[in-house]
Amino acid sequence: MENFEPVIVAFCCHYCAYTAADMAGSKRLCYPPNVKIVRVPCSGKVDAIHIMKALEKGADGVYVAGCLEGDCHFKNGNIEASKRVAYIKKLLDEIGIDGERVEMISMSAGMGERFAQTAADMTEKIRKLGPNPAKSFSMDMASNNL
Amino acid sequence: MITAERKPMEELIECLRPYNRILLVGCNECVTVCSAGGRKEVGILSSALQMAFMKEGKTLEVKEMTLERQCDPEYVEELVIQIDQVEAVMSMACGCGVQEIARRFKTKPVFPAVNTEFMGASERPGVWVERCQGCGDCVLGLTGGICPIARCSKRLLNGPCGGSTNGKCEVDPDIECAWQLIWDRLKALGLEDRYEENIAAKDWRTGRGGGPRKIIREDLVK
Amino acid sequence: MQDQNTFKQNHTVLVIGGGVGGIRAAMDLAESNRDVVLIDKASSIGGLMTQLDRTFPTNNCDLCTLSPNLSESSRQLHIELLAMTQVAEVQGEAGDFKLKLITEPRYIDLDTCTACGDCFKNFPECVRFTPGLDHRAPTCMRYPQAIPHAFSIDIEKCKDIDALVKVCKADAIIPEDTQKVRDLEAGAIVLAPGAEVFDPGKLDSLGHAANPDVVTSLEYERILSASGPTQGELIRPSDGKQPQKIAWIQCVGSRSLHEGAASYCSSACCMFALKEAIVTKERFQDSIETAIFFMDMRTFGKDYELYLNRAKDDYGIRLVRSRPHSVFHDPETGSLSIIYTPHDSNTNVTEDFDMVVLSTGFKVSRDVQDLAVKLGIELNEHHFAKTDSFNPVATSKPGIYACGMFESPKDIPETMVQASAAAFCASKNIRMVSESSEAVEEFPPERDVSREPLKIGVFVCDCGLNIGGVINAQGLADYSGTLPDVKVSEMIGHGCSRDALARIQTVIAKENLNRVVIGGCSPRTHETKFQDTLRRAGLNKYLVEIANLRDQNTWVHFDQPDGASIKAQELIRMAVTSVALSRPLTDNIFPMNKDVLVVGGGVAGMNTALSMADMGFKVYLAERSSELGGVAKKIRKTLEGDDVQAYMTDLIERTTQHDRIEVITNAFIVDHTGMPGMFKTGIQIAPQMFYRQITHGVTILATGALPNQPKEYLLGEHEKVMTQLDMDAVIEDQPDKIKDVTNVVMIQCVGSRCPENPNCSRICCQSAIKNALRVLELNPAARVFILYRDMRTYGFQEDYYKTAREKGVIFVRYEADALPEVQADDAQLEVKFNDPILKRKVSVYADCLCLSTGFIADEESTEDLGRIFHIPKTNDNYFLEDHIKLRPVDLSVPGFFVAGTAHAPKTIRECIAQAQAAAGRAQALLAKDTLNLGAVVARVEKEKCAACLICVRACPFNIPFINADGYSQIDPAQCHGCGICAAECPAKAIQLMQYEDDQIMAKLTGLLERVN
Repeated sequence: MENFEPVIVAFCCHYCAYTAADMAGSKRLCYPPNVKIVRVPCSGKVDAIHIMKALEKGADGVYVAGCLEGDCHFKNGNIEASKRVAYIKKLLDEIGIDGERVEMISMSAGMGERFAQTAADMTEKIRKLGPNPAKSFSMDMASNNL
Repeated sequence: MITAERKPMEELIECLRPYNRILLVGCNECVTVCSAGGRKEVGILSSALQMAFMKEGKTLEVKEMTLERQCDPEYVEELVIQIDQVEAVMSMACGCGVQEIARRFKTKPVFPAVNTEFMGASERPGVWVERCQGCGDCVLGLTGGICPIARCSKRLLNGPCGGSTNGKCEVDPDIECAWQLIWDRLKALGLEDRYEENIAAKDWRTGRGGGPRKIIREDLVK
Repeated sequence: MQDQNTFKQNHTVLVIGGGVGGIRAAMDLAESNRDVVLIDKASSIGGLMTQLDRTFPTNNCDLCTLSPNLSESSRQLHIELLAMTQVAEVQGEAGDFKLKLITEPRYIDLDTCTACGDCFKNFPECVRFTPGLDHRAPTCMRYPQAIPHAFSIDIEKCKDIDALVKVCKADAIIPEDTQKVRDLEAGAIVLAPGAEVFDPGKLDSLGHAANPDVVTSLEYERILSASGPTQGELIRPSDGKQPQKIAWIQCVGSRSLHEGAASYCSSACCMFALKEAIVTKERFQDSIETAIFFMDMRTFGKDYELYLNRAKDDYGIRLVRSRPHSVFHDPETGSLSIIYTPHDSNTNVTEDFDMVVLSTGFKVSRDVQDLAVKLGIELNEHHFAKTDSFNPVATSKPGIYACGMFESPKDIPETMVQASAAAFCASKNIRMVSESSEAVEEFPPERDVSREPLKIGVFVCDCGLNIGGVINAQGLADYSGTLPDVKVSEMIGHGCSRDALARIQTVIAKENLNRVVIGGCSPRTHETKFQDTLRRAGLNKYLVEIANLRDQNTWVHFDQPDGASIKAQELIRMAVTSVALSRPLTDNIFPMNKDVLVVGGGVAGMNTALSMADMGFKVYLAERSSELGGVAKKIRKTLEGDDVQAYMTDLIERTTQHDRIEVITNAFIVDHTGMPGMFKTGIQIAPQMFYRQITHGVTILATGALPNQPKEYLLGEHEKVMTQLDMDAVIEDQPDKIKDVTNVVMIQCVGSRCPENPNCSRICCQSAIKNALRVLELNPAARVFILYRDMRTYGFQEDYYKTAREKGVIFVRYEADALPEVQADDAQLEVKFNDPILKRKVSVYADCLCLSTGFIADEESTEDLGRIFHIPKTNDNYFLEDHIKLRPVDLSVPGFFVAGTAHAPKTIRECIAQAQAAAGRAQALLAKDTLNLGAVVARVEKEKCAACLICVRACPFNIPFINADGYSQIDPAQCHGCGICAAECPAKAIQLMQYEDDQIMAKLTGLLERVN
């Protein structure tokens, strides 16, 4: 596990976290390339299923990044998202996968530094936790939605 | 609605251990409304189960399907196309759904994914409370619209027990004393007199006392 | 260039000057369906701002904030841009100007030049370049995103014309190009010619001409700029070493008695110097010593005081209150010596620096003065455009408006405000071009792709070196070609350039593509551009997906190119798998409600209301109190001596009499829903508090600020203590009282620049000067003391400060840690303060103590309105605009604008300008007849819906409901598109368009399927 490079999915809300990620770009703030961003209009759009499927498909860590409390463009999407993340953490613990692999993070659109720092911190944390123990070895056996 | 709650993951994992291919079936009625077994929960449980087994190096193939209502044979029939491809079925519906599947597919093992809890109402988003026990002989008309059978811990029919303190039940201080509620409600209705009337001992044969029940509507029977 | 005949000339506004102000004015006019001809004498537009490295107070890179504006401006269909063009002749009057324009030869055909740079590489001396410092690098275009994106040839300097022509692969060089003269008819003219910086060569004691290491602030900016000659390396010109100690000298050419220098204050230089010092420490080395030599630190703008405090406390920038006389160069050490007298001392100090930056002020250039003569407009004594206090952007000639630096020295946000105001005033002189005219681009009908097999095209931008300098863009394009369903994959250079967009359009048509992936920059900024390209190619605009290769990959992983290359492949895969599932969507389009709600009936609110009503819009003016007027109703005179009362009486009468304005007094806003073009606002009207709902398309907040009444210095307790506002009234109403006084003491910054209210109130220095001068006029024998921390008489207010000093007003500085003390002994009022020159405590018995208390935000109203309208506020409770630099009038919630002191403290003149600007911005938004809400809305699949009510309960805006058919219904006109319902639905019956679950899952699949 010496050279383990975790794959981390970050669901970022358009108005704050995704903008902060762009801001990190404008400021040329480096962070590990392990973090891949999926843009959503609001962190409240991130379904528990999305987080579970990301892990099931082999992500080593997932985080949802939304606006600061009270700043959600849609009033309370970030609060809803953080409740869902807490629920998923418990479920993961129940099946023996460290709930720490999933996080809720908040930042404002101007916080490029925080975005970069969070990405670095999360990568470091997942690196310590090691690879997702539930990594599938045959993806073509994945579930069929009917 | 009939309320339910997902069983502990450990129990679910144990019962599925012998199988490699399963069908996970949700229900679009009560368990969807109480967020225990609708399409969304099917998706989450499917992922959780697969991951739990992958962790052990085993691939569990999960087919997901959600029926409009698992307690009606026509809807359950929709499983026919999938059933031969799997070794077992896990149902996220209430006990009725699980049994309906078991009845239809005699050779296929079926497991419940949820514990069916009670007939209840949603108190506020995310909180459900028991309101009815299906005794078959409703007394709500006598008790101000509050059921002493479902909501009194001791199912008392004629006033509270000695354990009612400040409107709370001695079984658990979080439970409101049903008879306190009944009294308050009768008072508000100006029907204090009714409290004095005795409710006769209940004939429990209309409930579970008479064995499993059945309803027949002659005019509808085909 | 567009064919000039397509312009209906009498609808046209001529905007002179293509700096930020001119661009803003042109864009506002174009957005409100007016035709604009934008001319600039330079070879590309952008003005001074494009030469800056970063701007205060955000310290953002300017190019990144400005260039989208520039490209937007060149894209606007109503705008014709003429570079290298000047006005030769003007005739006629408002509504019917006849002009002759002269365009200098560029020797390059704009349509064919690809800006490849070959001409410059081979013949650097033949290509024109203007910004400061040595002019040869790194590109001869003024800045990398120059518009027009083309070079310009200096044919005089070219010795071998044939060789130059041959070097151009595009055949764009036209040696026979000549000056072109063209006639233009225009209804109005907006002047935004900007200013030039003072040439410090005239002050030889500062050694700018002799010492390469003495630079102007603009030259220093070029050194810091990534597009400058040092490519953003901080090196001193003489020896190429990084300086370790840098000094800034303020007021070079401003507040000065030197010949050729200006007496006024240039307003922006204090912030400019602070910014340069902060950026120096932030970007290069914290150990670099920075010192700013200044007289008064004039950080009077919105939140600027906080910036000053940060500079001092967090960055350790040394502020030296002194005006150095000379800079000497030591030839042995190479260092520069500054000799100065500290303000609290009488001995000279000599200090050595590696570099000296001269904060040179602004002045109106000779060319612009000549232009003013041609146009027949009056200039003031400083050669700036003369305008009226109550009509701040109108010049002396009707139909001609001035904005930005040409009106008075100012910073970018104020320029933006005036530009919008000038554009608005100009638009009154001309008719609107109807929206259905040829100006709206027609897109071909959309092709039905539903039955076609997937044909995905991937286009990878290298964005110059931004992407291509970190990863192999061609290699990435090759890789993308191997992905499933990808039919074409190409590397296209600057993907957002005109050529590349045309190329994408061609390839879509040729290959019959039905899905497109762009690997480029952020969809936040560029999605619309690529969506337009798809529409031109006959595809639905939602069939494109952008992989953010630049902002979220190469810009942040340039330290590890291998990691960036792998991530780039992953991002492309995610985009390809998800675009495969994208579906054509239809935007939700609704009719626009064009009524206007103005909240607040002060000077800003009434001006906004009148401006909009005069343009034909119905205006509801809601005022919380029982009458119109606000704070301005209490003010008698301006600093310039204008009669505010007469103005206000007239303004109130015009407002109440206007057919299209409905004034609602005693009005309290209680609820609000909707979006721009279809707002609903509930108002309760006192005293009965009956409820009324108003439907409107835009909302303008002009709720004002409150005169501060801090409980300090016996204010409200002693009859001789009053505010400047009280004093203003006493002077007018009880002049006899003034005639009897011996001593008047004024204390500045009472309740401002203090921990409870850290910002500067901006107006108090000029009100103190105003009242001091009026006291002396009534009673020349009176002694007037002004106890101050920094005199912030910016711009032409400086003249009055100078007059006050000449007339004997005694100015005494005090420090924040040694405040003046006031004691009352019955009727006696004693003021004690330190005199820094005498170095002792002085005591004055005051007959009148005037406190300059300034403004404080109306917390109660901004708090309530901020909550009801979801408008963010600053820490000190003023409304926070959308972009403090470039969008000072727009609020962050679309359809909301701010004017007046609800935004920040300002003078009446500045309030009126912002009111006109708000009207202009609102007019631009209301110019469209329909409202496009996009396609991102939640849609219910009724077959799956269990009518569980979870969406009804989860929606933050209460939009979903269970309809008569028993399933959830979501009105697309009201849906805000957050997707919370979709995420919560337990039956998965709700999908958010453009972000459907299968598309999100596909992204995860694209990313992860090959991870293992």
